[in-house]
Order: sequence, then structure tokens, then C-alpha cells
Amino acid sequence: MLDRLPLPSQLDRVILLGGTIAALAFTPILIALVVLLIVDQISAPELVFWLAFTLIVAGALGAVLLPNIVHAALSLVLTLLGISAIYLLLGQEFLALAQILVYGGGVTILLVFGLMMTNAADDPIVSDGSQKPFAAGVAILLGVIFAAGLLDASWGDAEATAVSLQAFGTRLFDGYVLPFIIVGVLLDVALSGALLLARPDAPEPETEEAAS
Amino acid sequence: MIPLENFLLLSAILFALGFYGVLARRSAILILMSVELMLAAVSINMVAFAAYLDPERFTGLIFTLFIIAIAAAEVGLALGIVLRVFRERRTAMVDEASSLKW
Repeated sequence: MLDRLPLPSQLDRVILLGGTIAALAFTPILIALVVLLIVDQISAPELVFWLAFTLIVAGALGAVLLPNIVHAALSLVLTLLGISAIYLLLGQEFLALAQILVYGGGVTILLVFGLMMTNAADDPIVSDGSQKPFAAGVAILLGVIFAAGLLDASWGDAEATAVSLQAFGTRLFDGYVLPFIIVGVLLDVALSGALLLARPDAPEPETEEAAS
Repeated sequence: MIPLENFLLLSAILFALGFYGVLARRSAILILMSVELMLAAVSINMVAFAAYLDPERFTGLIFTLFIIAIAAAEVGLALGIVLRVFRERRTAMVDEASSLKW
């Protein structure tokens, strides 16, 4: 049974290795956070925030650094689910659910499908481009600029306020009906176009041959 | 309570990581994944600003909903193009499909 799965020799090894690494990396962080919680240095929401922070950054690092593209795609799922936890922490239940449904479900499945149908089955290891050091420099510079800018500004002492689902729906369908419909049409056109592009166009030469 | 800066810092780190992925990766689908990371970073920013600074009108939440929908459309369309390129040229690497580069 197991040897019929894709990447058979790697499957159990990957699960074992990934689980071990995740446990080794997350246990000290969890212990440190719980100790901080017990001695009242941080509150419970902050504990959840830092756990989600660790999850998101670790998943994103895996998604951009892992050489095996299937592992990178699975690592991206961690990030997307962590972002859903951040939305819950900010009090936005609807966006958190939409995030899990659309990203955790649809987009991930599409990406893994794409990987499997292109080159994951033959050779899942992809080397990065030669402009890697340049890319790292630019990315670090960008992150430092953003971080410096946001720490320089003063944001006041506001607190996160949950928005009720009813208020969200009223506002969406009260002031944003036209954009909503346009997004619906856009989704329709984009997915029809994707279908048209990905469909094999075999029949045309056959009809020509039949005519001649 | 969690200060707003924490969310903005998370968003900045995520955006920088996504940017690195877009520049450094060769596989078109991995570049797409990195673009998703950057979109998610922007979404976190918008949701945090809406929840902290503008809870009466929360325009950022509406925008985030549109971002999620448009990202789904973008992924579907881009995968269609990648599959097409793979069928024509037997490669999904962006540096090997460079016939438009002069």
C-alpha cells in the first residue's frame, strides 16, 4: 500500500524527521512561554500570539528555503493556518474561517496539484537561482526598512476590537455590492481562462487531416 | 493586551521572506507560493489596522476578503499558465522559459 504513494521511500522518513524537528524546535519555545505566563510576564493572548508567530515564521522559512518543493508546499500550510490563528486573535472569526477554507483547502490543493503535475514526480529537488545572495540582501534590507518605519511611528494605545459577523455582512453588502459582484465575475473569468489554458488542444489537427 | 507593533513586525518579516522567495526561487509554482506569503503579510497588516484603529468602519476587513478571493483567482490562472508552459517546453523553471527575454 505504502509503496504506491508518491515519493514512497521518503514518506515515512519525512514524517518522522519533520515531526522530530518540529518537536525539538517548538518544545523549548513552548516551555519558555509557559514559564513566562506562570510568572505573569505575558498574558494568555500574548502566549498564543508568540506561538502563532513562531509557527508562521518557521513555516515561511521552510516555504522559501526547503529544496524539496513538496516539503516547501506543505510548510506553507503551517504559515497559512498560523495566519488564521492571528485573525482569530484579532477577533475576526469570519476571516479566520475564510482563510482556512480558501487557503488551507483550495489554494494548497491547487499548488500541490500543480507541483505533482509538473516536476515533483520526477525530481522534487529544485536548486535555487544564482541570484540568491542578492535576493537575501534585498529582502533583509526591505524587512529592516519596514521594521524601522513601523517602530518609529507611534500607534497610540488602541486595543483590538472584535467585529461581529452581522456588522461585517451589513457593511459588505451595504457599501461594497459592486466590488463584490466584480470579484465574482473576475473569479469566473479567471477560472474559465485557467481551464481553457490548461486543456489539451488535440482535436484541431485531427479535423484537418480528416478534411484532407 | 498585544501591542499593534507586534502584528506589524510579523507582517514585515513575512513580507521580506516572501520577497526573498520570489527573487531566489526558480520553480514557477514556488514563486507563486512566495507571492501568497506577501499577500498574506499585507492581509495581516490590513486586519490589524482595521481591528485596532478603525473598528467602526473596518474597511481593511472588507479589503482582506477581496484579497483572499483575488489570490484564489490568481493561483488558479497562474497554475493554468504553468501547466501550459510545462506541456509546451517540458519545464516549470522560470529561467528556462525565457524566449521572451531578449
